[in-house]
Amino acid sequence: MMLSTATQLSTPPTATPSTVVPLANRNIYLNPRLQQGGTGQMGNQRSEEVKKVLDILVRTKKRNPVLVGDSEPEAVVKELFRKIESKELGAEGPLKNVQVISIEKEFLYDKNQILSKIKELDRVIESRIVSGGVILDLGDLKWLVEQPMSFGGAQQQQVVSDIGRAAVVEMGKLLARFTGDGTNDNNLWLIGTATCETYLRCQVYHSTMENDWDLQAVPITSRSPLLGIFPRVGTERILSNPGENLNPLKSVPTLHPALTRRVSENLDPAQRTSFCPQCSDNYEKELSKLVAIEKSFSEAKQEDNRPSLPLWLKNAKLQSSDAKTIDQSEGKYQEVLSKQKTQELQKKWRETCLHLHPNYHHKIHSDRTAPPALSMPSLCNPNLFVRPPFQPRLQTTKPLGEVLQLNTNPVTSQPQGCTSSIPGSPVRTDLVLGPKGTENTPEKATEDGVKDLLGCISSEPQTKVLDKFADALDADTYKKLLKGLKEKAWWQAEAATAVASAITRCRLGNGRCRGAGSRGDTWLLFTGPDRVGKKKMSSVLAEQICGTIPVIICLGSQRGGEESDMNFRGKTAIDRIAEAVRHNPFSVIMLEDIDEADMILRGSVKRAIERGRLTDSHGREISLGNAIFILTGDWSTTNPEATRDGHVVDGKKLASIASRDWQLGLIVREKSAKRRVNWLQNEDRPIKPRRELGSGLSLDLNLAVDTEDDRTDGSHNSSDLTIDHEDELGLVGRQFTITSVPHELASIVDDSIVFKPVDSSFVRREIKNTISVKFSMVVGDNLPIEIEDDVLEKILGGLWHDQTSLEQWIENVLAPSFNQLKPRLPSIESRGLVVRLVVESDSGERRNGDWLPSRITVEG
Amino acid sequence: MGVVEEAHNVKLVGSGDQTIVLAHGFGTDQSVWKHLVPHLVDDYRVILFDNMGAGTTNPDYFDFERYSTLEGYAYDVIAILEELRVKSCIFVGHSVSAMIGAIASITRPDLVTKLVTVSASPRYLNDANYYGGFEKEDIQQLFEAMQSNYKAWCDGFAPLVVGGDMESVAVQEFSRTLFNMRPDIALSVAQTIFQSDMRHLLCHVTIPCHIIQSMKDLAVPIVISEYLHQNFGGKSIVEVMQTDGHLPQLSSPDVVIPILLKHIRYSIAT
Repeated sequence: MMLSTATQLSTPPTATPSTVVPLANRNIYLNPRLQQGGTGQMGNQRSEEVKKVLDILVRTKKRNPVLVGDSEPEAVVKELFRKIESKELGAEGPLKNVQVISIEKEFLYDKNQILSKIKELDRVIESRIVSGGVILDLGDLKWLVEQPMSFGGAQQQQVVSDIGRAAVVEMGKLLARFTGDGTNDNNLWLIGTATCETYLRCQVYHSTMENDWDLQAVPITSRSPLLGIFPRVGTERILSNPGENLNPLKSVPTLHPALTRRVSENLDPAQRTSFCPQCSDNYEKELSKLVAIEKSFSEAKQEDNRPSLPLWLKNAKLQSSDAKTIDQSEGKYQEVLSKQKTQELQKKWRETCLHLHPNYHHKIHSDRTAPPALSMPSLCNPNLFVRPPFQPRLQTTKPLGEVLQLNTNPVTSQPQGCTSSIPGSPVRTDLVLGPKGTENTPEKATEDGVKDLLGCISSEPQTKVLDKFADALDADTYKKLLKGLKEKAWWQAEAATAVASAITRCRLGNGRCRGAGSRGDTWLLFTGPDRVGKKKMSSVLAEQICGTIPVIICLGSQRGGEESDMNFRGKTAIDRIAEAVRHNPFSVIMLEDIDEADMILRGSVKRAIERGRLTDSHGREISLGNAIFILTGDWSTTNPEATRDGHVVDGKKLASIASRDWQLGLIVREKSAKRRVNWLQNEDRPIKPRRELGSGLSLDLNLAVDTEDDRTDGSHNSSDLTIDHEDELGLVGRQFTITSVPHELASIVDDSIVFKPVDSSFVRREIKNTISVKFSMVVGDNLPIEIEDDVLEKILGGLWHDQTSLEQWIENVLAPSFNQLKPRLPSIESRGLVVRLVVESDSGERRNGDWLPSRITVEG
Repeated sequence: MGVVEEAHNVKLVGSGDQTIVLAHGFGTDQSVWKHLVPHLVDDYRVILFDNMGAGTTNPDYFDFERYSTLEGYAYDVIAILEELRVKSCIFVGHSVSAMIGAIASITRPDLVTKLVTVSASPRYLNDANYYGGFEKEDIQQLFEAMQSNYKAWCDGFAPLVVGGDMESVAVQEFSRTLFNMRPDIALSVAQTIFQSDMRHLLCHVTIPCHIIQSMKDLAVPIVISEYLHQNFGGKSIVEVMQTDGHLPQLSSPDVVIPILLKHIRYSIAT
């Protein structure tokens, strides 16, 4: 369907049949921008070239342009003539009145007449030149070097080049005649076009032509659509980009920088270490697979070279002579490529081997530092199979009370399975639990644990690396972990138990089987609204298992309160994860707010979980080592009423409360009427110490006695509390549901743990009780302490954001102030008195980094 | 060579009585068919072209307004067929091009005799009583990610869409062609695609349609193929392949090529 044949693209002023470009058949469906093509972008490029030609024409030397190029240089000539015709060149300059005379192609075929034709031209030019100059369009110069191959044979060829030579001489004379007068007016110009090949032949056959004709070659760049073919071939073909061959103006890139770097990296002889037999087997297998793929590819390539195939399969439309070289260079490139692939494979297995079998590399290169990665072989450690993985079931309705029980009556509260296999451990647990945190560094404790464990079960010598890993599997570690978790996030007792058992299970290799074989990385999903609890547990995990602080990477939108690290600018979250793993493959990495992450990020994380490898944005792939990943997300819906009524701790509200600078003070007052309301908690309720965790060993001993007493006479108390607590759980439980945790995520992680919203009355009471207990321990049973709700709120807020736990704070800040208070109190006859913990000052912004007051003023 | 052929890098290969048009989808170009083409050239005349906006086309020709709907692309297809004086053809469209082919067949029923769709979806967003696989928020995030760091987005998007490892040839190939697109054009094309809704037009497609679909495809849930089958106005047939990813013809050619050939060669039994 040809609707129009409008020819705005090309309206040649002079009829030159040789240079007519096929016109675009316009149709109504055509992209309008394509219709403008001639004058649009393409026109820009063309006009650039026209300008170049004009510049040459006005020169005095080498002023006769030959447009050399494979992509329609005629179009440029036509555009030039169009400009001359329509007087677009302006009234100034030597070209203002120039006329164009074209040599007709038919003439040129008759070689014998060429000379007479040139004579004829002479006369025509003479008649016209007076009016302002003549441009003689020679058309495609191939008539000078070629002839119709009607007869063929060297004889004929010889004759033709003789005629060509004569034509060159005649033309030279013609030129000299009309430019001889030295002035720049009324000149004769020549203009011609040629392909690269033609021009080269001209230079060979007519060596004097360039000088005699005063020629200047103008390279015409390929049109962009033509160039556009090659980017598709793209990076794969960078070494043999055929586009470069076609385009004399473009410099040929020698080697892709990244490529050279990569190759040289791989060639580094120091790196070319062998792998252990197992890995080299695997390497060989993959290599053979790769070779097979390569082979099938090259076969396909050969097939591709069949003539009927499209350009991008054949590389390019080329002169047959060029095609061969291209093929060769491509073959060479294929070689380089496959070599590179082999090296990459080697590297991959080297790395894998290094991770998997550090011992092997230790032996071989004792001088080289082994990566810190600890790994799966330890799972094969025979010791570990002695004990079956256990599922600890601790009743944890009352977290602090539970710990107490553990201590006073260790044997009964031991998880089953541990007691039978490690008879020594309960004793040791007490020792570990005893002293303060500073002495009780995880390393030391774990070393103890390992010794113990090994002493019980096996005396097989172990490497240090294995020891460290084995310790993570120790039953005692479970207890230690649970204790740590409960200490820092005591309001999430249930979650703490779940986390501890999940971690233990995973470390024993009983995590969910993802992909092929066992892997070192662990993925936990923390759901629920309690951000603080999750964070606290993560730090406990990091500290206990890895001895470091957790790496926290936010996948969602940054929250206002959290300052973003400048180092992370411009890095994607995936890059940051990769960096963290690279930096320490044995770390706890917390990926916050996966529920807010975008689809791609979620997908990448999912793939990482499935494959145990992570690809950063540079395409580098890294193994996830033995890192523990904690994904957090909310996915919960809490009854809004519960938040409003204050049943549930509201993180934002707490932050605003705690962010102020506030001080606490202890004052002694007469008993107020209020006291009656609080009597249960403050006085009559038998004291239930639960503070052996952070306190000194001596205190523990005293406590044990106290507790024993309590138990004998006041069992109503504990049951009372239990009932209470269940009540609250029920309340919170009713108002909170975890919804819509995406199945795709929940199904692939090792375990998901629900963090319930925090019941504010529960946490407040906990704080109050803990403080009361401490107070009565220090000061005595007969003096009650009163703590107002607003004070509790502040303490809670402080705890929420501070790194210290409630116990630590009480021990370090509150206890000394109690001690201070004690001597100032009146004698035992203080029946009518009450000690109150009150807010001393509450002034604006927080000054230093601490969220909790570091000292408490004491009034006598 | 005409302007249209030049602009779309049109390639004519093979010979035969019937003409086959191979149309590529988002983020790729005609090279996505490289595994299929050698099997067609002996029996068919094959037309290959690049959609405007692909990395291999001149960005200056990309008219943001024209290509804000799929119709713009469909007109391009017709323009190419007109230019080449093709009277009728079998249209093999991948991803978005399947829908482009459908539009072209509605506009010019005489031109297209059969439509073969690979990983096609009439609507990517979920709707009431319709599962397209994407939520509005997902798409918004995707657009934002494209805008913030196109390279990183490509590297993340490619393995997801292809469904292979980063080092797999198909992923490399796709991320290359994807990254070849100018970022603003890529964004515009993606917006056009994800906002398109072809559901109401399906009933007007009266030519036979062969719906080919990957088992697992991030962009197109498997139910879509059934939806297309139910809603196409003409005869249609569904084949779900045991492949993974949105570009099966690139990632698992050994499975896909025979199936494609079968659907190109044979018609739906009456």
